[in-house]
Amino acid sequence: MEEELVGIKNAAISFILECNSLEELEEVKLQFLGRSGKLTQAIKNIATVPLERRPEVGMLANEIKNIIEDTIEQKYQTLKSEHYKKRKSAIDVTKPGIKPEIGHIHPITHTILETIDIFKSIGFQVADGPEIETDYYNFEALNIPKDHPSRDTQQTLYLDTRESKVEPGEVILRTQTSNMQGRILEKMKPPMRVIVPGKVYRYEQTDASHGFEFWQLEGFAVDKNITMSDLFGTIDYFIKKFYGEDIKVKFVCHNFPFVEPGAEAYITCAVCKGKGCTFCKRSGWVEMLGAGMIHPNVLKTAKIDPNIWQGFAFGTGFSRMATLKYQMDDLRLLTNPDLRILEQF
Amino acid sequence: MLVPLSWLKEYVDITFSPAQLGERLTEAGLGVEKIEKIDGDIIFDLEITPNRPDWLSIIGVAREIAAIEGKKIKLPRIKNDLEKNKPKNVLPLTIKTDYKINPRFTGIIIDGVRVKESPGWLKEKLLKMNQRPINNIVDITNFVMLEFGNPIHAFDYNKIEGNIMQVKQARGGEPFKSVDGFNYRLPKDAVVICDSKKIIDLCGIKGGYNSGTFDSTKTIFVRVPVENPVLIRHASQYLALRSEASSIFERGVNAGGTIEALKRCVDLILELAGGEIASKTYDLKDQEFNPWKVKLRPERLNKITGIEIKETEVLNILEKLNLKPKKSAEIITVTVPTYRNDLKIEEDIIEEVARLYGYNKFPKTLPFGEIQTTEIPYFKNYKTDEKVKNILTSCGFSEIYTYSLISERALEGMGINPDKALRIDNPVSLEYEYLRPTLKPNLIKALIQNKPNFDEINLFELGKVYSGKNIDEAKEEYYLSGISNKKNYYEIKGIVEAILDELGIPSGDEAGLTKNIEVVDEGIIFELNYSKLLEKTTNKKIFKPLPKYPPVMEDISLVINTEIKTADIISEIKKQSEIIKNVTLLDQFDDTRTFHIIYQDMQKNLSKEDTVKIREKILKTLKEKFDAEIRK
Repeated sequence: MEEELVGIKNAAISFILECNSLEELEEVKLQFLGRSGKLTQAIKNIATVPLERRPEVGMLANEIKNIIEDTIEQKYQTLKSEHYKKRKSAIDVTKPGIKPEIGHIHPITHTILETIDIFKSIGFQVADGPEIETDYYNFEALNIPKDHPSRDTQQTLYLDTRESKVEPGEVILRTQTSNMQGRILEKMKPPMRVIVPGKVYRYEQTDASHGFEFWQLEGFAVDKNITMSDLFGTIDYFIKKFYGEDIKVKFVCHNFPFVEPGAEAYITCAVCKGKGCTFCKRSGWVEMLGAGMIHPNVLKTAKIDPNIWQGFAFGTGFSRMATLKYQMDDLRLLTNPDLRILEQF
Repeated sequence: MLVPLSWLKEYVDITFSPAQLGERLTEAGLGVEKIEKIDGDIIFDLEITPNRPDWLSIIGVAREIAAIEGKKIKLPRIKNDLEKNKPKNVLPLTIKTDYKINPRFTGIIIDGVRVKESPGWLKEKLLKMNQRPINNIVDITNFVMLEFGNPIHAFDYNKIEGNIMQVKQARGGEPFKSVDGFNYRLPKDAVVICDSKKIIDLCGIKGGYNSGTFDSTKTIFVRVPVENPVLIRHASQYLALRSEASSIFERGVNAGGTIEALKRCVDLILELAGGEIASKTYDLKDQEFNPWKVKLRPERLNKITGIEIKETEVLNILEKLNLKPKKSAEIITVTVPTYRNDLKIEEDIIEEVARLYGYNKFPKTLPFGEIQTTEIPYFKNYKTDEKVKNILTSCGFSEIYTYSLISERALEGMGINPDKALRIDNPVSLEYEYLRPTLKPNLIKALIQNKPNFDEINLFELGKVYSGKNIDEAKEEYYLSGISNKKNYYEIKGIVEAILDELGIPSGDEAGLTKNIEVVDEGIIFELNYSKLLEKTTNKKIFKPLPKYPPVMEDISLVINTEIKTADIISEIKKQSEIIKNVTLLDQFDDTRTFHIIYQDMQKNLSKEDTVKIREKILKTLKEKFDAEIRK
């Protein structure tokens, strides 16, 4: 019995050492240690050994088993490292990877999603509203009566009202996302913090910085104690999160009929960081937002008592924010579906 | 508006450099667009907001500078005293007006003027502000308008027939030749002045040619009016005729300033053109145009601004703005001069204090207080859009944004009757006349545009479409469309199904899916009514426990007439037992289709006998319904 076991051990070791691949090694392992392997069978036969000699033979068998297992393990490690070396040398690691075909999200979407993230972090919710709008919500509810000269700054596209009950001129394409102020204010009780990204329309000839269709962002907040300092702080926070902390924001007084006091925000040019370049016409500053404290007439129109509630509102050209962020020198690039543009985002 | 620094300096001492001054004025709300050095002078190009007619004058701008610099303004010295004027010869003139259309009519006759070229200093001032010098009388009226902000017109008195001036509204369609020689047809309700025979003035916009001041003019009537802003705006918009005067009247002229402007004008005429006053001072009005009072509560000022500005500073600012603040109890009362008709309510005064205090001195805070936790009206969940867009980009599609406005040709190209689409009355061009009822034409155009540069093109747009054949039925909905020139029908269908899965909409039940995918010349295009899908979407994901017992899977190959739809076969198989969890088409070759069936019982282990029974039932039914044979 002992000779048989020793014979198995010697045979196993020589087989193991001769193995040239992991597959061969696996075969050898099965041949000796498998369910019907030589050693397994021999160990089963120990039962036939006289009782008094069984412990001794058993110990030897165990020892041999350990030796074979260790040898297999050593050989396994050697073969495996050789195997990896071989596989690796077959790969030219300097060759470029094969990229999966992935499409691209449009810069306007990037801008919208990033803006939403920033405002969500300070408690704002996002609303979406109609583009086909009444003169009432677009102008009148915003303290811009029919013959207000400020209408000149927002030349309007009018919808064809033939064969309808609507008076000509009463239904338009919204010229500003501020139309949502009146709509939301009249539908809910303050406090509220709202942003509205959306498309707006103007009767305007297209050039590098103008278009008849473009994107705006409207924001407003109403509560009992919302102040001008909050307005300036909110805009400052948004701009710095959006363009980077090194961007400066400055405010000047401005008039918009739906706010009082009114303001305009300029930011240091995100392209040249204020040094002066073609984007900012060498001034280092870019006009970015219109803002102010919501005019009491706007609150009153929505049946909100301006003696209890107060708030701020702001609006900005989203298309312009996007082009400035990505240093695109023409608004029309945003509506150009050229994949050579889209692939960059 | 162009404003020369040299002229401003006649009224106020300026210590700031032009650049500093530009910055301070902009901060205060008087936007300086450009500062240019021209012929040894500095010219400011100002953007005047619609609320400030006073800034359309040199003195108005000088007042702002005086407030910023903390200086006093030096107004031109008036020599004559028109209130007590006693002319030697009085020429006859009857004036009839209507205060609703002409709130104030101030004027005077001057006889014996000599019309000639203006002196150099006057011409130079006008030229710097882009005004063409004409003759001394016209130039003086323009000069005083630029200086004081009150438009003035000089009529040739001898051409006013019947010695009568009557202010009334046009019937509409009357011909009118302006003093600069252009012909117009007047809109209805335009305010005009007629003599006994004809229209001699288009009020607030342009004087008439037939009563203008030319070289032969000897006697003039100088009129300084207050016009109705709305009526002026209507007429000037209708005629597309803008003048300095109409811009001022539209914004609301300084109604309390007509006499001062007339005095200044008369001074200059007597000095530069000679002649003498030949009438009383006409001043027709039905109300006094006096300064008004507005109350400011310092507590309200603090509550709106969020800062505490010292009371002495508040009073000082209001003083500098010539608002004559009076403090009593807890209230400051200001008296607003008539040239500031933008100051009507407390918030207007708050802005005055805040802007001169300096917006950039404010601390920057975030709103505190209650956060609204309920969903706001018009709420939109952009997360869903983002998920859908991520699926499309991971499938190789790039996002585009195209115009909502399209051409009649584009509609017809899609077989859509333009009469059934929403139309713009005043499109910027015929290319952008209709609101798109589908995203498809723009996607096709975009694909074609990319062809020269790309082999495989996959594009999508998530955007609004507009339906309804007229405004009453107008409806806006988001559509999601995509186009591909290389992917096949099944790949596109699979992508659409993946989107529906993500939205929690069972795609199998959307039998209508096939009508949303279309084969066009350029490739395959899909279009989904995204707004409708969002109504059906089930965002809630609820975990289903994993089955305790293993499923049994098998593949069955059937020979079935190729006319029979796969979807019908699958639904028939599913009907045969509740434990059939899923059936998919594995393979199709000629008339043989192989289906992969998963049996799963949640309660027990399935035995061979269990599935064999169901299998027989399936085969029997398919044989009866579709004459299907099992492939041997």
